[in-house]
Amino acid sequence: MSGFLTYCLQRFTPVLLLLAGVNAVNGQSQHFVHIPAGDYTLGKKGYINNPLRTVHTNGFDIAATELTNAEFEKFVQATGYVTDAERNKSGQVFTPGLREFRWLQDSTACWRYPNGISRGGIENKMNHPVATISYRDAIAYCEWAGVRLPTLDEWEIASRAGASTTYFWGNDMPPLSTYANIWHGRDHLQADSSDGYMYTAPVASFKPNPWGLYDIYGNVFEYCEGHLPTDKAGSRLVHARGGSWWCSKNACGFFNSVDIGSVKRGASFSNLGFRVVKK
Amino acid sequence: MKYLMFVAAILGCLRLSAQEEPPEWKNPSKSSLAYAEYRRKLTVPPYGLAKVKALIDKIPYKEDDSSPMENKDYLPLSLREKFTYHMIHAEISAQNCDVRPPIQDEDKKIFGQMADGMEESVWSDRQSKFLISNRDSVMALIKESVNRSKRMGANYKMAIVEINGREMIPFIIETYNKDQKDRDLLTLLMLLMKNNEYNPFMVSQSYRKLYGDNADYQSYIDYNKGNEDLIIKRATDYYNTIRK
Repeated sequence: MSGFLTYCLQRFTPVLLLLAGVNAVNGQSQHFVHIPAGDYTLGKKGYINNPLRTVHTNGFDIAATELTNAEFEKFVQATGYVTDAERNKSGQVFTPGLREFRWLQDSTACWRYPNGISRGGIENKMNHPVATISYRDAIAYCEWAGVRLPTLDEWEIASRAGASTTYFWGNDMPPLSTYANIWHGRDHLQADSSDGYMYTAPVASFKPNPWGLYDIYGNVFEYCEGHLPTDKAGSRLVHARGGSWWCSKNACGFFNSVDIGSVKRGASFSNLGFRVVKK
Repeated sequence: MKYLMFVAAILGCLRLSAQEEPPEWKNPSKSSLAYAEYRRKLTVPPYGLAKVKALIDKIPYKEDDSSPMENKDYLPLSLREKFTYHMIHAEISAQNCDVRPPIQDEDKKIFGQMADGMEESVWSDRQSKFLISNRDSVMALIKESVNRSKRMGANYKMAIVEINGREMIPFIIETYNKDQKDRDLLTLLMLLMKNNEYNPFMVSQSYRKLYGDNADYQSYIDYNKGNEDLIIKRATDYYNTIRK
């Protein structure tokens, strides 16, 4: 009997989690995963910006998915908020053909047109993660919605799902395409849609981690709160984790539970978004 | 037989576990950290420096942290002053994963990519266009400045890549040979060969290791006399093909 129960749990839990995620998206409401209180191993041995250590959390609830365009639109409709990219006309976008790490500044780019008007809007992408927003925009959303960004440590605890390896499944990269929307091309000179998406994918399009978090690697980098040991005093840099649709194994490789990116707090790239934590 | 299979299975699991262990990481040595700082240093051009710095200080702070100089200040600058401005002030934000974490044994490696001295900023479109459309002057100014300061900062090396300054190969080798300290000059030579698709380099083992399918932005070859000589010889051979 217990064997049958175990079989059912193993067989159907991922399906139930997947359905929960999809329902949350369709319902335009956030589905949260509870991370239990406890001590967790984070970082990597000798890694200056993320040293191996044990941290304690009292537990928190983190969104199962990245925040979608639909959810961000509710905020904008309710408040009339204007994002940094809209005000400063400073959105940074990508188009195939650019050299590695090169982006274009596009005055038409903003969350409604993440890669500029000429590359299309979000009308049919309301279940994609919101992007081309700055850290400041993410904070404004959080204040309105009564939520907050995860800390760097909380993000890592959630992403690891109990593992102490570079990825939540181990230290080898290959299973990545099952779990993450990333760039599979050798460079960014040619378009790459080999996983079905060149830019963002609808949230929860890929398999979740064992704790039910979708797109924890890839899709969009996720803003977090906190500083790094190498941040200079008074630095206004902010940090985002998890890699993005732009990231490839050859040119970024930040789609893991160890690396932490740095970006200016007003920058609005089309591969930067966020997920929230309950206050 | 079953016992042997069981032992084989256990050994297989142990082997898998061993493979999953990440490579041992150690804190970078003092010499590695010192070299990391050295290779990220910019060269500050002397041309109208005080005037350009004063204008940069005047740039209004913007919430998006991008900080282009306004046209009314930028356009009247002379070519040399504009060069100074671009070399010390990149106008737009760099991507989140552009800045790499600290590397160990940095001083013992020749990387496929040069250190980025601008860190969280990159040249804007107008800055890149200036460098490319004035490439002859840019190359002349870099030579003049390097001869004065005796070193070629990360910004100058980045500018040479930006303008595809392959005519500078002999000068880059000459600069390297002064103290043979800045291995990013060897990287610069390789980037010029790669970007111009110089076939003998494209089919080499170094190319595969540094720019092949499994390479990333921290790929490197060991710094040793053999590799150093080979890079310089290949770059010289390449230069001889383009000057004909």
